[in-house]
Amino acid sequence: MNTEAILEKPQAIAGARIRQAQQDPAWVRWGLTLAVLAVVGVLVVIPVVNIFAEALSEGAGVYWKNLFADPDTRQSIILTLTVAPIALAANLLFGLAAAWAIARFDFPGRTLLTALIDLPFSVSPVVAGLMFVLIFGLQGYFGPFLRRDGYSVMPYAISILGTGLFVLLFFLFRPINPQARPGLWNYPWLVGLGGSVAVFGLLFFVQQYFEVWPRNQSLKIIFATPGLILATAFVTFPFVARELIPVMEAVGPDEELAAVSLGANGWQMFWRVTVPNIKWGLVYGIILCNARAMGEFGAVYVVSGHIAGKTDTMPLRIEKLFQEYNLPGSFAVASLLTLLAILTLIAKTKLERKVPSTAKFPEPKTSETRA
Amino acid sequence: MSILIKNVSKTFGNFTALDNVSLEVPDGALLALLGPSGSGKTTLLRIIAGLEVAESGTVLHQEKDITHQSARERRVGFVFQHYALFRHMTVFENIAFGLRVRSRQTRPSEGEIRAKVHELLKLIQLENLAQRYPSQLSGGQRQRVALARALAVEPSVLLLDEPFGSLDAKVRQELRRWLRQLHDEIHITSVFVTHDQEEAMEVADRVVVMNEGRIEQLGSPDEVYNHPATPFVYNFLGNVNLFHGRVDDGKAYITEVAGEAVGQSHPSHENTVVYVRPHLLEIDRQANGGGHFRARIKHINSAGPLVKVEATTEWGAPVHIEMSQERFGNLQLMKDEAVFIIPKDVKVFQAHEGPRPK
Repeated sequence: MNTEAILEKPQAIAGARIRQAQQDPAWVRWGLTLAVLAVVGVLVVIPVVNIFAEALSEGAGVYWKNLFADPDTRQSIILTLTVAPIALAANLLFGLAAAWAIARFDFPGRTLLTALIDLPFSVSPVVAGLMFVLIFGLQGYFGPFLRRDGYSVMPYAISILGTGLFVLLFFLFRPINPQARPGLWNYPWLVGLGGSVAVFGLLFFVQQYFEVWPRNQSLKIIFATPGLILATAFVTFPFVARELIPVMEAVGPDEELAAVSLGANGWQMFWRVTVPNIKWGLVYGIILCNARAMGEFGAVYVVSGHIAGKTDTMPLRIEKLFQEYNLPGSFAVASLLTLLAILTLIAKTKLERKVPSTAKFPEPKTSETRA
Repeated sequence: MSILIKNVSKTFGNFTALDNVSLEVPDGALLALLGPSGSGKTTLLRIIAGLEVAESGTVLHQEKDITHQSARERRVGFVFQHYALFRHMTVFENIAFGLRVRSRQTRPSEGEIRAKVHELLKLIQLENLAQRYPSQLSGGQRQRVALARALAVEPSVLLLDEPFGSLDAKVRQELRRWLRQLHDEIHITSVFVTHDQEEAMEVADRVVVMNEGRIEQLGSPDEVYNHPATPFVYNFLGNVNLFHGRVDDGKAYITEVAGEAVGQSHPSHENTVVYVRPHLLEIDRQANGGGHFRARIKHINSAGPLVKVEATTEWGAPVHIEMSQERFGNLQLMKDEAVFIIPKDVKVFQAHEGPRPK
């Protein structure tokens, strides 16, 4: 403790000296500060405050009615709160998988994958929406098929998903110790292949037998919720992966290898070592992804078809109300969306302040005292 | 035999990391894998640990083939070069990790875990730091926590990758002695990787000298140092002076020196290289019989336990000599003085052998 006190003083003096050396004349400091404040005020503060002022201009009662009395507006809020979390969950899974693959393995096409992850950022959202219309729309590649008997793909999709999950879980939970492995754990190939066939068959059979999916019916993707989810997921696709890749690269694979050498299985390694290490990157990615998913307009605009009360998300609803000269209504929805964004920002700032809690302590100098 | 490695090879692209390596590690040994960077020593260690997969060859542990077992099945203790402590866990939790991840049937109770961790904390002499985070520890302390964490799972083999590589000289000295003591106490079969020959000599009871993916020599520190099998080993284990030479009738001569033989060597050969360690060269003002040559002193460094003298031989080659402070005091050598140099012990290898043994 003594050494730290001694060490701190020269640093403080040096710090003051640096500050003095970097000191600009007063008019520069004040001028710059005022200029920035003015720009932020005009571009950010006034418009945001104005949204709330306009929304509440006719009193809280009208504001409330504007938001929740209109069934179409109510539906748009519900739709946004459905689409955003689903798109977020999909991107969370994908982002983790992509970041893991890129940061931990070297495979052919790694650079290409890194570039492709960024693609949704560079493509205009309108173009993104159009792509989905061209694939799943009536005139698109899969359009006629989906229209004729769209639900027939569902049993296959669900069965493949279930089989993948089975194989993953088998290898994640296989015990470490060969002695502690009863019976079937010892035959990974047999169980992996045989089990996959069995799981696939069973799931497929159950779905067909109980007629879970309707036959010869059109599966609507475009101008329906699935299309909105696809478009939103595409546009917000890079956020989680982009946040995680640098974090995972910085942390490095050593701690994970250490966990494995200490006997952890894949599941334990992931939850006890990987996740705590990338926690902040993950949280940050989720927050950004969610903010964008709720506010997405362009891509969603193309695939939604503007069916009021059915495929209008909040941003689409705002635009529609505005076009109909229902300014108080449009501002009310806008204020709610802004509120959600502000809450996201507050959450982000709160979390950022918490980040360095373990790194706060000064690194001990190398002078080592042996007990 | 604790670990038996048979004909293991490994390449990374065009680079051959291990070239048909075979090695035995006896039970309870403390073995050092010593070599320059790129010699394949770390790759060999990682193959033993199961963190890297050999392209060919087998790895046996207690007569059981473990070549295709994963790192987690092998139950070896591995200490990483940069410790790889779990940064979000306290020292206590780091050490307890290996016990906590066991399956429910084999997991010890919370009380047992506590007892085991405290026993290990005592062993590494960090009992009062159990609640600290790795970032709050010094390098030496982190190293010891990493060791305790590896020992917690009661591995049958302990593997250490450059255990003292990133510590400063003073701490390194202490930890070396501590590791040696620890091994004497718990007798766990241990293999560590190092590029520092002094470290290998001081800590290990068996040293494996590696170069370019092959084992050059295996033996006790004394054998390896005093009876090097190849020029590479002799070269790597300390400073040397090289002279061209020849062997005639069992006697070794330095080519440029007309006079007497400087040493003994058995197979007669026209073209040899004569190796002499700096401290085995003696400086004198008279040539008192035996092989010797003339040199002029260029530089004297008398700071340290030994005085290091740089000289130029009569045929213009540089030569390094080390002598005790006492001897230096007696001689009163000066710069640019002409002296006689007498090799006391030389090592002769055939010249075209290259760095590789037959």
